Amino acid sequence: MSRGIWDRETVALVLLGAIFPIAVTWLSVAGAEGLWRLVFFLVVAGIWHLVWMLARAQPPSFAGVLTALALALLAPQELGLPALVLSTSFGVVMAELAFGGWGRNVLNPAVVTLAFMGFGYPAAPWPELAVQIGWAALPAALIGMVFGVMAPGILLGAALAFGVAWLAGVDFTASYAAIAVVLVVLVAEPVASAATAPGRWLNGLLYGGLVTLFVVAWEGAAPVQLAVSAALFTSLAAPLFDEIAIGLWVLKRKKRHG
Amino acid sequence: MQVPGVWTQAWARGLSRGLDVPVANAPAPVEPAEIETRISEEAALLASAEDDLRIEPLVARGDSVAQGAPLFRFRRHPEVAITAPMAGMVAHLDLDLGHRLRRIALFHDDGAGRYRHDPGAAAQEPAALRRLLQDSGLWQAFRSRPFGRFPLPAEVPAALCVMVLDTRPGAADPRLAIAGGERAFEIGVRAISQLTEGPVLICQEAGAEVIARNILPRRVKILTVPRIHPQGLAGVQVHRHFPARPGAPVWDIGAEDVLAIGELLETGYLRQTRLVSVSGDALREGRLIRTQPWADLRGLCRGLLRPGPSAILSGSLLEGQEARWLRPGDRQVTARVRRERKEGAHWFRSALSRASRPLPLIPTAAADQALGGGVAAMPLLRALSSGDAETAIRLGVLSLLPEDLALADYVTCAQPALSALLAGLLERIEQEEVA
Repeated sequence: MSRGIWDRETVALVLLGAIFPIAVTWLSVAGAEGLWRLVFFLVVAGIWHLVWMLARAQPPSFAGVLTALALALLAPQELGLPALVLSTSFGVVMAELAFGGWGRNVLNPAVVTLAFMGFGYPAAPWPELAVQIGWAALPAALIGMVFGVMAPGILLGAALAFGVAWLAGVDFTASYAAIAVVLVVLVAEPVASAATAPGRWLNGLLYGGLVTLFVVAWEGAAPVQLAVSAALFTSLAAPLFDEIAIGLWVLKRKKRHG
Repeated sequence: MQVPGVWTQAWARGLSRGLDVPVANAPAPVEPAEIETRISEEAALLASAEDDLRIEPLVARGDSVAQGAPLFRFRRHPEVAITAPMAGMVAHLDLDLGHRLRRIALFHDDGAGRYRHDPGAAAQEPAALRRLLQDSGLWQAFRSRPFGRFPLPAEVPAALCVMVLDTRPGAADPRLAIAGGERAFEIGVRAISQLTEGPVLICQEAGAEVIARNILPRRVKILTVPRIHPQGLAGVQVHRHFPARPGAPVWDIGAEDVLAIGELLETGYLRQTRLVSVSGDALREGRLIRTQPWADLRGLCRGLLRPGPSAILSGSLLEGQEARWLRPGDRQVTARVRRERKEGAHWFRSALSRASRPLPLIPTAAADQALGGGVAAMPLLRALSSGDAETAIRLGVLSLLPEDLALADYVTCAQPALSALLAGLLERIEQEEVA
């Protein structure tokens, strides 16, 4: 009783629980083929976690399951086996394990993998997410916020940006599902996003802004592709947002306390 | 089951930020008159080699000492004395090489009487007050931030912080401790406000004001603090309202010690007891007890413990340490069931768990709340975990002490403990300051 529960693995498990609605809805749509994709990514990510555990004594993490699930949901289809193995290995090893495992990484391994697939195999078709998967993102976000593993600032900031864009006449109907799923599964993930309250709002706003920009100006982009690209740029900017938030806080305190 | 660290709890409390830590057998609130007074037969102060407490003893083994009589003076600061917490006989006085104190222990004997200090003009004159506090041992009731040492004899604080609430899990309400002594408390507040030119912050819960505002100097401010941990820690309040800096130290003191200063000024006698809360899952029931400083913790738990192995901590569940005697400054005792350690974890498991230190910290609502919301929690914890003194100072770490991070340790299961990292960091910063 003399310790709390919020260590790394608890957070990973609670995150998994939070995105459970998305996973279930997606599996009911994708069926056996989706399950096979999930198992494939689980095996590839799991093998790399095992290798790093044996070679570097780096404990494996349930966060690997998060990565696998995100990849099964969002990875381009009809990519050959070598391409899938290569890009997944790149993402998992270079974005997560090489930094010391989940919690020390700067970028989300799933985002890096997806970006690698997008740049490396531009001809591969991105998946079309069914509408109900997009709706499942709502309860997922709610669970994540209530249990404190997803920051309200990121989710509400993004929602705010989308609301403003929608009022300005931008049409999100075609891309809603992809945008919502990427927001909840990739952008709101606590490690690779901003960690201060104002930084999180900026983080969410930037994601919303970038998605809106891509929807309006990027012709021919698939919904998942533009959402993943926005997620990549957003998580690259996250440390900057934290730095801005800390700078403002220090300035405010200097003014008040001298 | 109560899950600490959930956003909804923070929302339910409005802007107040913190966490409820469940504690077994927290003492039920009682009327001040019903609180049992229990003076333990022995009392002792232990010091370790790291404390480096070099003293000049004023008594010898076997001497009879009155309650409040000086026992020893510090060699480095001969102005400051430590006094006897109860009337009795000096049972042990163990010194190491270089006059380092290892242990001083007393046997209780009421016949030795009480020692009267002469308050003189201390209520009006700051210099006389300093002398009186330093002679009576009440000087040690102050703690100076940054670095959390006892204030130097000539140090002048930039601000004072009086804590009239304690939000540690299972802690006794300091308002209960000073109930009935409002007059002495007021005298105490007036007196210590002479020690500084800066503000005197009195932190209390919402409700009736602990001291009438209109009779006090304008520098004395009464702050209302929500009753949720860690808001009742002096560090959190100092950080928010008057950050401590080297050269501009902030002292903090508990309400009951201010009351003791008031009583000393009024009567010349040192207060005999302090209110201590006894709680924990190894007890049959929790209880509030008035006892002397340095009290025997086993004596305090006598009649309350359940059979079976237990560990008695001086301090709360979060920051307490296993001890035999009540440590100076602590007002809480926690008796915890001692769980058997699993024998011989597999070598591979222990290799895995020991190889990657410090463990990564994942930002969650719980981690944010564990620092009270006034700090950018994750950047500060990450700076501590990576030993980045510059960023930590920028984020206000100099107002904090290890006890202020005990809740963050509890919540995040950080290894090595963040409070230990902070202790090391503060020591390093202090050495650099001196150099």
